[in-house]
Amino acid sequence: MSLSERMLKIDRRIIFLVIGLCTLLPLLYPVGLPIRISPEVRSIYDYVEALPERSVFLLSIDFDPASKPELHPQAIALLRHAFRKNLRVVAMTLWVSGTGMADQLLTQVAHEMGKENGKDYVFLGWSPGGPAVIINMGQDLYTAFPSDYGGKATKGLSVLEGVQSLKDVAYAISLGAGNPGVEAWYVYGKDKYKFELGGGCTGVMAPGLYPLLRSGQLNGLIGGLRGAAEYESLIEQKGRAVAGMDAQSATHFAIIVLVAICNLFYFSLRQQQGRRHT
Amino acid sequence: MATGLTLFIFSFLYRDNPLFKLAEHLYVGVSVGYTIVKTVDSVVVSLIYKPIVDQGEFTLLIPVAIGLLMLTRYVPKAAWMSRYAFAFIVGLGSGLAIPRTISSFILKQIEDTVRPVLSMAGSDGLTFSMNLLNPSSNLNAIIILIGVSSVLFYFFFSIEHSGPGKAVARTGIIFLMIAFGAAFGYTVMARMSLLIGRLTDLIEFSDASYGRPTLWLVILTVGALFALSRRSAASASSSD
Amino acid sequence: MIFLRRQLPLLITMITGLLFAAQYYVPHPSSERLLTSATKWLQIIGGFALVLGVTSLFHQHAVKIRRQEAGWGYSVVLYAGMVATIAAGALAWGKESLDGTMTGFGWVYTFMMVPLQGTMFAILAFFIASAAYRSFRARSREAAVLLVAAVIVMMGRVPLGEYLIPVSGDLSQWILNVLNASVRRAILIGVSLGAIALSFKIIFGVERSYLGGSKE
Repeated sequence: MSLSERMLKIDRRIIFLVIGLCTLLPLLYPVGLPIRISPEVRSIYDYVEALPERSVFLLSIDFDPASKPELHPQAIALLRHAFRKNLRVVAMTLWVSGTGMADQLLTQVAHEMGKENGKDYVFLGWSPGGPAVIINMGQDLYTAFPSDYGGKATKGLSVLEGVQSLKDVAYAISLGAGNPGVEAWYVYGKDKYKFELGGGCTGVMAPGLYPLLRSGQLNGLIGGLRGAAEYESLIEQKGRAVAGMDAQSATHFAIIVLVAICNLFYFSLRQQQGRRHT
Repeated sequence: MATGLTLFIFSFLYRDNPLFKLAEHLYVGVSVGYTIVKTVDSVVVSLIYKPIVDQGEFTLLIPVAIGLLMLTRYVPKAAWMSRYAFAFIVGLGSGLAIPRTISSFILKQIEDTVRPVLSMAGSDGLTFSMNLLNPSSNLNAIIILIGVSSVLFYFFFSIEHSGPGKAVARTGIIFLMIAFGAAFGYTVMARMSLLIGRLTDLIEFSDASYGRPTLWLVILTVGALFALSRRSAASASSSD
Repeated sequence: MIFLRRQLPLLITMITGLLFAAQYYVPHPSSERLLTSATKWLQIIGGFALVLGVTSLFHQHAVKIRRQEAGWGYSVVLYAGMVATIAAGALAWGKESLDGTMTGFGWVYTFMMVPLQGTMFAILAFFIASAAYRSFRARSREAAVLLVAAVIVMMGRVPLGEYLIPVSGDLSQWILNVLNASVRRAILIGVSLGAIALSFKIIFGVERSYLGGSKE
């Protein structure tokens, strides 16, 4: 076999090794390159920044541990920002397997910022039905969630004072990893109940949400770990996302190089085969 | 424990081995158990039991009945009854979805594609903003219009792709390829992020304060794999 | 009897479907009340649906254990995991933490479910790299376009890329916001039209597969 042929059939475990190293080394020895902020992340930041104190901010944590590395940093950054602005945070989830994680992250950030459950924030928990939950919340929040995650009755909580349904929410953000996610929040939520909606999503879903962003149906989009890193830079509290950016750079370049090499060998092979036939 | 299980799954990269199968089956079992617990907690306790007992909302017994009907699927003689439940759900779901989808994804999207192009002929004459970098500029609005229509044309129209139709279809394909390329780039980004997150956790837990579990478990896992492969090699050679 | 088994479900579908499609356009308060009740019911029924999905898995592995097919030991592991999780959940009243301290259930979630799920998806990173190497070749002009777009976006979305080639950041933004958005929009419109057509077919009884196959 010629060199090209051999290189094209290389044992995939070598590629695994390359990727593994490209991920591990920058995590152990970070470099810290500057991160440019994209307009779609900035618009979310600006909107939250401009909200008056005690506005109602709804965060729907619609993902499960599978997407944790990308969306968990987004959730933490958003919550830190919201608590810093003294907004009333109403959190919930539409994904059953994400419930424990959502509860844990909310409690962690609230504790860090000194916020009180029931007064400054509430975790409504999970309810089956996906889009039905959204519609129900738009009709009457207390029918959809008669009690919060800890079992306390939601009616009468001081954090929900004056809130009857989604129409009373100042800003809602859905951090989604699939269905139900950001799109469901628009179709079943914003379309009828007219609250401002922002989105956060995994890298896989991000390109698909750009039409909604362009048409103003979403006012901003935080895409993947990169988006989380941008948001962390904006709130000036760097966390895991920024730390992971170097590894991201390394792996992307590794893939680009791999693809380039592969194409090089492919073309040289084609040339060889062409020569053999003449 | 977490670290150990993580490494078991990583071992799949090397070869399909019993440790991975163990981890995989454990994962499914635990997920299912978790779903059941959460469903019971959220639905039965909060949505059914409390409202009925505390506030006397007996109308909620109707959906409970419908739900139970669904479960008759498992009783072969009575399974046909479950059709009512499914019919209700599917009808309800479709009915809810149709007008909302039309409004959000079709009307609104078409409106946003066409409006920026129309707004170019404003009251103060024809203005044209050329800035490629500003997505709302007029030049970009035209590009978007071309993109949307050519891709729709490529997919929908059963007219043969020849003549002017062919040019439009080819434009559509180029646009599609660029979009898929972007999607691939983003998918790569996403997958790498997932790996990065997991490794960050692993590194965190390999701290000395936890007793260096990562290190020990790596040794343990490699050792176990080695032993297992030895055993299968031995049995393979002894069986002939 | 045939009516009860075949026609009535279809009739139910049609009535509920049309009723709730129309509901969207009727702003009267009683229509709103109808919507609230219906969605509340859906939430409850949704819970039952989840249980349904889960029990089929239950059944499948139970058979495997009973028949002692190859690999039934793993099915036992699956069962053990499930039962242990449910037991832990029952003991903890379904909560991961009570009054700030983690319960046994919480332990299972945090130290077993989260890492298992997380890692399962993390290994995909390796596969996508090897798949890219194996199959990402510029076989035709269109494939080359795809490749170039992918490379631009991969470079532009990463700090190192923006540092080395600043224009890649702007270029990838343009690709995403203009070119990509237009294509996705077309796909969205197309798919939505298809979904609505399907919904209409279901409502009017033309499409019946959701009822579950049977001899009737």
